[in-house]
Formats: sequence, C-alpha cells, structure tokens
Amino acid sequence: MFKFNRRQFLKMGASLAAAMGLEPASVPRIVEALSELSSGQAPVLWLQGQSCSGCSVSLLNTENPSPSEVLTQYISLLFHSTLSAATGHTAMEVVEKSIEAGGYYLAVEGALPAGMPQACVMGHKPVTELVARAARKAKAVICVGTCAAYGGIPAAENNPTGSVSVAEFLKKEGNTAPIIRLPGCPSHPDWVVGTLVHVIKFGLPKLDEDGRPEVFYGRFLHDQCPRFADYERENFAQTFSGEGCLFKLGCLGPVTKADCTTRLWNRGANTCIMAGAPCIGCASEIFAKSPSLPFYRKGESK
Amino acid sequence: MPTKIEIDPLTRIEGHLAIKLEIESGQVAKAYCSGEMFRGFENILRGRSPMDAQQITQRICGVCPISHGMASLKAQEQAYNLTLTDNGRLTRNLILGANYIQSHLVHFYHLSALDFVDITAILNYGGSDATLKGLQAWVKAQLDSQTMFPAAPFLPRYNGDYLPNLDANIGAIKDYVDALEMRAVAQEALALFGAKAPHATALIPGGITEKVTAKKIAAYGSILSRLRSFIDRIYIPDVVAVASAFPAYFKVGRGCGNFLAYGVFDQDNGGHLLPAGRIKQGALSSTDPAQISEDTSHAFFSSQSGLHPYQGQTEPSPHKPGAYSWLKAPRYEGQPYEVGPLARMLVAHQKGHAQAKPMIDKLLGDLGLEATALDSVMGRHAARALECKLVADACAQWLDKLQPGQPTFTDFEIPASGKGAGLTEAPRGALGHWIEIADHKIKNYQCVVPTTWNGSPRDSNGVPGPMEQALEGTPVVDSNNPLEAARVVRSFDPCLACAVH
Repeated sequence: MFKFNRRQFLKMGASLAAAMGLEPASVPRIVEALSELSSGQAPVLWLQGQSCSGCSVSLLNTENPSPSEVLTQYISLLFHSTLSAATGHTAMEVVEKSIEAGGYYLAVEGALPAGMPQACVMGHKPVTELVARAARKAKAVICVGTCAAYGGIPAAENNPTGSVSVAEFLKKEGNTAPIIRLPGCPSHPDWVVGTLVHVIKFGLPKLDEDGRPEVFYGRFLHDQCPRFADYERENFAQTFSGEGCLFKLGCLGPVTKADCTTRLWNRGANTCIMAGAPCIGCASEIFAKSPSLPFYRKGESK
Repeated sequence: MPTKIEIDPLTRIEGHLAIKLEIESGQVAKAYCSGEMFRGFENILRGRSPMDAQQITQRICGVCPISHGMASLKAQEQAYNLTLTDNGRLTRNLILGANYIQSHLVHFYHLSALDFVDITAILNYGGSDATLKGLQAWVKAQLDSQTMFPAAPFLPRYNGDYLPNLDANIGAIKDYVDALEMRAVAQEALALFGAKAPHATALIPGGITEKVTAKKIAAYGSILSRLRSFIDRIYIPDVVAVASAFPAYFKVGRGCGNFLAYGVFDQDNGGHLLPAGRIKQGALSSTDPAQISEDTSHAFFSSQSGLHPYQGQTEPSPHKPGAYSWLKAPRYEGQPYEVGPLARMLVAHQKGHAQAKPMIDKLLGDLGLEATALDSVMGRHAARALECKLVADACAQWLDKLQPGQPTFTDFEIPASGKGAGLTEAPRGALGHWIEIADHKIKNYQCVVPTTWNGSPRDSNGVPGPMEQALEGTPVVDSNNPLEAARVVRSFDPCLACAVH
C-alpha cells in the first residue's frame, strides 16, 4: 500500500467527503476509513452476471481518488474478471477460497438468469450459484448498476432467460447480508466509491426504501435540472438538439432519482440533459423494462 | 492420448469465456471456445420503438458501446432515408474515435500486458518516481501481510516466461498506471459530445443532440493532444518493445487467413478513413453483406442454421446436444473470417492507404519482418497500436472541420415500415446491425458482432472459428500454466458480452 502521510490522507478524505455530500466534520473519520482500507481490511469480491462490464469501465473513470488509487489504497480487490491477473483455474481458486474465508464486501455487476442458470456460467458453475454462496459470507452486498439493482435490460419484457436483479434473486434465496442498490446505466464512479467507503467505516449509509443511498438518489433529476426554468416557463424543446425543457421529447427526469445533473459525468465533462439528450431513466427501476414505455416521444409518419 | 486442459474463466477480456484445449506433443491440437453468457438482446428489442435500439444496443457492451450505437443509427438512418450534417458526421467520428483510443489502450495495458510484464519486478525498483515507489511500498506491504491473496488483483497469475529485463518491466508498470489515466480522459473527450461514457445518450438518429461550441472544440483538442502524445511516445514504443522481446509471437497465433472489414469513420467524400474490404487467403476483394450468414449447429440455439441476419432468429436451447457455445458462427460465403484492427490494417495496407501503408511498412522494416508475420499474436497488437495512432491523428483533422453554431442534427420521421443494415467497425472488428420495422415497431433485429466472428464455434462442416484455428499449433510448455494459449486468445481482444448479446 502507498504510504501516505496524514496531510495527504486529509486531502483525500476531504475530496471524498465533498463527493459524498458529507459535512466537513466527518473528514477525520473518513481519513480513518481510508487508513483501514489501506491496511488491506476492506476486501472486495467483484462478480459479473449478465453484464456488459460498463459499470467496471465507469468505475475506472473515477477521478478523486484515481483508478490506481482505488485499486491500491482504497480496496483490496480479491477478484475482478476484467482486471485480475489470475485466469483459468487460478481465478477459480481465488474466487472459491475468498468465498470460503468470507468477510468481504460483495459487489455484483449484471443481472442473474434465474430462469436459465446455464445462461451465465463461470468455471463450470452457474453464476447464480456463485453469487448465492458468495452473498452468504459477505459483510454487505452492493448491487452495482441498474442490471444488478433492478434487472435492467437483461430482465426487460420478452427476455428469454428469466433474468432478475441480484437484489430480487438474493431476497428469494433468504439472504441476510445488507443489500445496497446503486442503479445507473452505468453506475457513477462516485456512487460506487463513495458507498464503499461509507459502508466500511460508517456502516450503512442512509438508504431509501429501495436500498439506495439517499445522498446520491434522494431527489428526482427533474428537481435538480439545469433546464428547470424552461419547464417552469413552458419553454419546451420541439426537436432533438433544440432549446428548452426536454419533457415533450420523452425526458424521464421527473421519475428518475439520481444526482447526475449536479454531479455530472466523466469528471464533470457533461451530462445527458446538458447535452440535449432527454433522460432515459437509466437509474430508475423502470429503465428499459417495457416496450410500452419508449425512451423518446417522437412524431410518427402515417 | 491428448492432455485436456481448460482456461475457464479466461479473464482480462470482456465477459465470460471458457477455452478447452487438447494438447499433443507440447502443442495445441484442438481448441474449443465457449461463450458462457446469454442475455437475448435481439428478443428484447422486438416490438419496441426503433429509436430505443441505439440506446439498448449500446448496453450490449460497456467497452465499445459507441460502435453498437453507431451500427444501430446507421441501420435506422438507412430505414428512415436520413443523411447527416457535416457537424453530425464529424462529431460522431470524434465520439467513436475517442472510444477507439480508450478501448485500444485498455486492451494493451490493462487486459494484455500482464501476460508479458513481470509485476513483481517492482520489488527491485531503485529509482525515485513517486508513483513507482508508492506501488513498490504497496506490493511489499501486501506480500508481508497475512492476506490470503496479496497484491490482488495483480497476483496470483500463471507461471511463465515474463519479460526478464528489470527496466523494461518497470517502464511498463509505470505506463500501465499512466494508461489508466489516459483511458479515463479519452472517455472525458467522448462525453464532451456524447453526454457520458460509457453509454452515450447524445446519440440519436439524424446526428447527435449535443451542439458544437468553440469551448468544446478546445476542450476535446486539449485532451486529444495528451492522448496523441501518449500514443506516439509511450503506447507504440511499448508495443514495439514487447514485440522485440517476444519475437516468437510473430509466428504463434496464425488465424484462418481470411480477413473482413466493413469500413469505418465516414469521410466527406463518402468513403471511410479505414476502408472496407476482404482478404481471402492473401487475395483482396470487395465485401458483399448478402454473403453473410450465421451457422447455429454448435451454438445453444434451436434457430435454423445458415440464415442471413435479416432473417436471423435467436431461440435459446441451453441443453442442445453437440452445442458448446452461446456464440453463433458467422460465415462469409460459408467461410470463417477474422475481423479487428489486424483485418482493417491488412485491408488498408493492400489498398495502399496513404497513412496506414507507410506506417506498417516502417514497422515491418524496423523489426525485420515480412508482411505475412502480421497474422500472429504480435501482429494483432502492432496493428491495433498503429491503428490507434491513425485514428487519433484523424480526430485532430475532424476537430478542425467542426463549425460552431452549425446544426448537428437533421429531423426525421419514423416510417411505418422499412429495413436497414448498419455496417461499421467496432474497435474489435466488423459490426453489423440489421433492423426490420413494421407498424412503427421493431419486427426483427439482429446483431453480428466482432467477437461473434472471431470467437465462433465450429460450423456445420466442423470448421473451427478464427480463434480456435489460431490456438491450434500453439506451443504449451506447462499444461498447468497455459500462458501461451491465453496470449493467443487475448491478442484478438475478445468481447463476450458483445459476441453473444
């Protein structure tokens, strides 16, 4: 682990606190959390179900802390299919021995094919079975992304695999470990890193009825929208790339809880509504669920 | 009797892949590639609004979502009879270009490099670089700790013939860390016009929703200059260094000898930056999408075998006898074809491409190799690195042509019925989406994806897919540590979430 002096730790703690929306008074405890993490006491086991790896790609977009800081100072990433040097039987050994030992934080990315377990297999084992076993020994289960949290696209109507969210799957398995949902397609890196640190040091962050941290998911996008004044003045965009509120083009900001309009994506580069793209509700439970709720409203020719 | 071994899961790729090998006389006699995860995107898309498709299909893959978005948009725009404005075309090239750079950097440094670089060399580092000293302290503390798997996820690993040279290893480790930052800023550039990455919401039929401003041009330009500098000064020299240290890998991993490219990055003359073309056993010819079909004989689908994607079906059958993969087997005129940066660069080279040909010839000259050596593990890495430079250089030219204030979007109406084929190139190779619209809804949607081509199982003639053929003949020194075979597979940059979808 990098050796950090207290000043550097304080600096990191402060940037994390800002990212998590915490009061400055909480900084010393975060500093402690980071020190604890850096001594290897926060093992994270990351499993992928029916995923696109987009939440992993998104996690690597984290800025403060940087991707390499996350990997070497913040978490001890026991296994991650996209990053682990371990491959083949070596990889399965890491996964199995980690599960045997327990005591890790289990992050799951992707939905689970409950109706067709053969549709997601690793080392001859259905991933449904691996996740069920891994969850029993976990301190907490973090459902990273909308697929793990709510089922997302793999569990949408007409899906052929009987796919369900990790949260729903574990509920049926009688899982007792706390479950945190971090929806978003992908999940924002701040939501993942911020939640991990909170869980480890402060325990569970304040969650809503769905298990989402309120600090990130407490308010509707619409209420924090940069185009809210346009909505108030009934100035609606009539075509894509137009000026005004995007509601009439299908924007799902009014039913989606997330802070992306204020947090922004990719190190502050942009966010959907700023770019003229209607919110497609990627962090909501209903994301892509049904053909009867299309992403866009658009005139059809006769 | 052959020794049977498995690499299951094959990690440091995208998705769930298992490799089964039969080893005879110290080399691979037979190879079987199994895609291990199925979601059913094509089934889920049926009955939806066509405009859902460019968002839903991006979620096929978090590493190359933009390519799926582009293929879907091209298919829809053909069906809607739409042409883009110059700003629309150029901003899309810049969005896709940033995704290429991100993907190629991740592939070399974060997915492949750990097959060649000895991470434990950091313990012998004697220099003063803060990042490296920090890493050294971390690895030491981890190894001294009681942790079950110290320095995870970088250890444990297969035993094997890693780079012996200390300085080369140290340099590569530093570049691994720096490349993490570079790939993140490439995503930042993407988001300037695409709204966010991965999964860009600004992609819309008719262009993009985002506007062009002078500030955005400057911001993209600033990031692009950092990326171009990294590609020129770090990435390409690192690939050449690894290639020089492992020259045997210009002879290992020869594929099926057929290469296919659809062409990508639309230019103002109607052509592509990276041209379309097909090479069949050395001979260049044109590409006719009507010759594409998907064989399902060894795939977990009950769907009829040999259908063109417009007629394609995706009915799962997880217990089908004789099946061993969730990938269908795409074939062109009934033959397997390799797709990807190597295919694109070979097509460009044979066509005498103004930038690609001299770059490839210089590399071959510097390494003292014939062009035939490119059909190999190292050839694939080298082609990817050169392509990365070519794309990054072109991004600078596209950026120069943007006009602030000019439209990025052309309005349209969705017809009651129509058909369209969206052919493009993902970082991993030729990508096609086929859409059929009836009653304003998606009637059928099929995707034939790069790793579906490369990682395909055997077809009804028993002919193995390109990756399976490339594995045959690969020497495996220690069947408990089949590092050589893993290097062959990773050279294709497989994406299994894409391949099965």
